[in-house]
Amino acid sequence: MPIANLLAELGLMPLRAIAFQAMLLLVAIALEAIVLRQRLRLGYQTSVQYAATLNLLATSLGWILFLTLEALLPLALRQQIISYVLFNRFYMNSWVDSLPVILVVTAILAFFMTFWIKLQGLSWLVPFLDRAPVVAAPPPPSSSRRYGPTRRRQPTAATQASPYTLAVLQANALSFSAIVVLLLLQTLA
Amino acid sequence: MLAFLRQTLANLQTLLLPQNYFSWQTIIYLSLFSWLMSLLGRGLGATIWTVGLMTTLSWAFLALGVGWLLEHNRVNLLGIPIAPWVSGAILCIFLFGSWGGDWLQPAVVAWPLVSFMVVAVPSLVNWDLKWQTPLPTVRQNLVLLFLLSLLFSCWLQFYFRIQAWTQAYPSLVADSFEASHFVYRIPGQLVPLSEGVNHLTAAETFVREQIDGKPWPSVERWLLNSEGNRQAIQQEIQRTQPASPESQLWQFDLQPITQGEGYGLKLRAIWLGPSAHEQGYYLEKSCQILPVTQANSYETPTSAASAATRWARVSCDLATPRLPGRP
Repeated sequence: MPIANLLAELGLMPLRAIAFQAMLLLVAIALEAIVLRQRLRLGYQTSVQYAATLNLLATSLGWILFLTLEALLPLALRQQIISYVLFNRFYMNSWVDSLPVILVVTAILAFFMTFWIKLQGLSWLVPFLDRAPVVAAPPPPSSSRRYGPTRRRQPTAATQASPYTLAVLQANALSFSAIVVLLLLQTLA
Repeated sequence: MLAFLRQTLANLQTLLLPQNYFSWQTIIYLSLFSWLMSLLGRGLGATIWTVGLMTTLSWAFLALGVGWLLEHNRVNLLGIPIAPWVSGAILCIFLFGSWGGDWLQPAVVAWPLVSFMVVAVPSLVNWDLKWQTPLPTVRQNLVLLFLLSLLFSCWLQFYFRIQAWTQAYPSLVADSFEASHFVYRIPGQLVPLSEGVNHLTAAETFVREQIDGKPWPSVERWLLNSEGNRQAIQQEIQRTQPASPESQLWQFDLQPITQGEGYGLKLRAIWLGPSAHEQGYYLEKSCQILPVTQANSYETPTSAASAATRWARVSCDLATPRLPGRP
């Protein structure tokens, strides 16, 4: 049968990975858009566009990093990656004892690298789109009412870089938590 | 009949001869013309540069013309216009196909990015071939589109990486991928055999060469030297089987057991690599070695002494069941 031949020729396809990643991306974009909208006072469409751009950027760079690193790693570690990708389990070789540590370190590194990429991406994207730099969401309403010149200088100095930083950190933390929960559910299912 | 023919001719005429020179047909004709010119140039022995220029123009016009045609007719698949994808594919085939060698993989991986270029160039470059800055909303869309095509490229590259794995470790394909969260095998395919089966066949051939049709006492002595035989067969497998990275993940083992009058011999190929089984798996081939008084037919007994001699006969099962765990 020609179709079966074609399928056999195509071999294993990462269809599950693509489907799951598409779902994770949608969840992350939705959650981060909510945070960005509230924190940075953006419109609905703008916040969704920003969140989508940042997440796609981080995901693509992550893939490129993974595909590059995978080719450079020692053979035994590559075999562990193959085992995980194809069979969802690690197998017994010389790396099996150090794998939990590696995994935890990788997850923490992934979090901070994603955060950094998203922060850089946002601070590059806003001027690229000719948008006015985002001002921080005003602090609690009690202080915004008394807008005296003495109080004015202090918060701007402290929050010069922080509106993006805080918002992106919170958005990233939220989306990572959601992704971890979904991954756990997938493992349990 | 005549009316039908006339109608068809009229349709063909409007299809082939456009009203306006500024149309996709013109571009396709330009492509055909450049292609003919490149053929002509090759025939007349023109310089490589000329032929190359003509070929390049021909491919570029083809991509442009087909893209225009699809765009003009608003051909789309699930609401996504396919014109840039088709133009991108044509450009990829041209760009990477002229490399020669193993060009398919880079061409497929670059395909989404080239298609993105096809979409982006019209909004980045104006008709005077000058750089122009698109509107911010267009810029936002282009950024999103670029990142999406980058992600598609990464997925395609990941697909090719998996193919590279299964090429280096062909026995992986013989396993089950039910548990995987990444790959999916579309059901209804023929699952190939594990490489271990070939190893066991090589081992069986070696065992036959060594003891089949040999005098029984020497066969018994051969069977005693289990460790030596294991190493000899391991070397034989390495010699006969094609070298691949997975060879180191196969371990050969054999175990003789007494079985009635003769012996049983279990040949085992143990897989030490990644597997869907918790404890890995091994393949086992069972052989029976029996003493027979009648020698093989090609050795006719010539004297009474040889008729009384007992010979060994080896028979092996064809099946190599896959057993979980380690022997």
